[in-house]
Amino acid sequence: MKLSRNIIPAAIVMIGLTVAGCKNTSGTIVKTDHETGESTIAAENARLAHHVVVTSTTYDEVNGVKRVNITMASKSNKRLRVDYRISWFDANGMELDPQTKTYRNLILEGHDAVTVTGVANSPAAVSSKLRVRETEQAE
Amino acid sequence: MKKLAFTLCLVCGATLLTGCATKVKEVPLDRTTATTKLEAQDIRRTVEKMVESLLVAPGVKEYVKDRRPVLDVEPMQNRTAQHVDMLSLTESIRSQLLRSGMFRFVDRSSTGTAANDIERINQENQLGLVDAAKAVKAGKQTALDMYLTGSLSEIKIVEGRKTDQYYKFSMILKDLKTGELVWTDEQEIRKESKKPVINW
Repeated sequence: MKLSRNIIPAAIVMIGLTVAGCKNTSGTIVKTDHETGESTIAAENARLAHHVVVTSTTYDEVNGVKRVNITMASKSNKRLRVDYRISWFDANGMELDPQTKTYRNLILEGHDAVTVTGVANSPAAVSSKLRVRETEQAE
Repeated sequence: MKKLAFTLCLVCGATLLTGCATKVKEVPLDRTTATTKLEAQDIRRTVEKMVESLLVAPGVKEYVKDRRPVLDVEPMQNRTAQHVDMLSLTESIRSQLLRSGMFRFVDRSSTGTAANDIERINQENQLGLVDAAKAVKAGKQTALDMYLTGSLSEIKIVEGRKTDQYYKFSMILKDLKTGELVWTDEQEIRKESKKPVINW
């Protein structure tokens, strides 16, 4: 009886540590084709998708370079911290300068909507990909 | 009993040996903030944001409409108490702008060797070491249209165990012909840290 009383808390701690150790770095992906205007949203992380939703995607061209604006809204009452990265691809689907596109921080206040902007640094870019992930899960 | 002691010693020995080994692994370039100091990801994000802002600036439009202006990037000034490799930051901005294909670049500020190189070639030419027809002549270099420069400043407030650190990157693009500022932007970073009550 005494043994089982000790085993249960120990098992809970072990499960907690195991879950905390498993980093889920998946997130929400928004792909936009700037030639056709087609935009797809894929939510890979259910917890993130429960708190953050992509509400709109617009794109244009300024000074000969493509630009994308993506609006994200919080469904939570609390302040949320997420990371996002906008990468660009050429007509062959090759990523352009992947090293130069970084994960940026975004603080979303409760039930607030924020528009993030990405600019292609090459005229060869034809499509963009936004990837959002939870900050706490980032290494 | 002896068997148990032997097993325990074996486990302890293995644990100690494993603990002694230095662990090295490759990590993503963008990590979460670890200190209030300026970190690699802060520099990378600032460079990316500045380049994006410059590429879509309305003031730049009239300069890049019909031609590719010639730019030079002056090393940014570091007005903080920290050591930050500003030349590296300047080089990152230049390479990203060069990839955009909107500008042409000369490199006078970072190396400053153009005049020395031509002087050396002239000396070699006089000695008859270089084919006179192929030798680079003075006065053939592209003239500068604009230059890009900037600065980094900080405000640090320490209040008890709490440290509040604020950084500001400012950049300007100046037209040399008219002296006008074509573009200017700022990027701000604010970090906060709190020391634990017991710290050693």
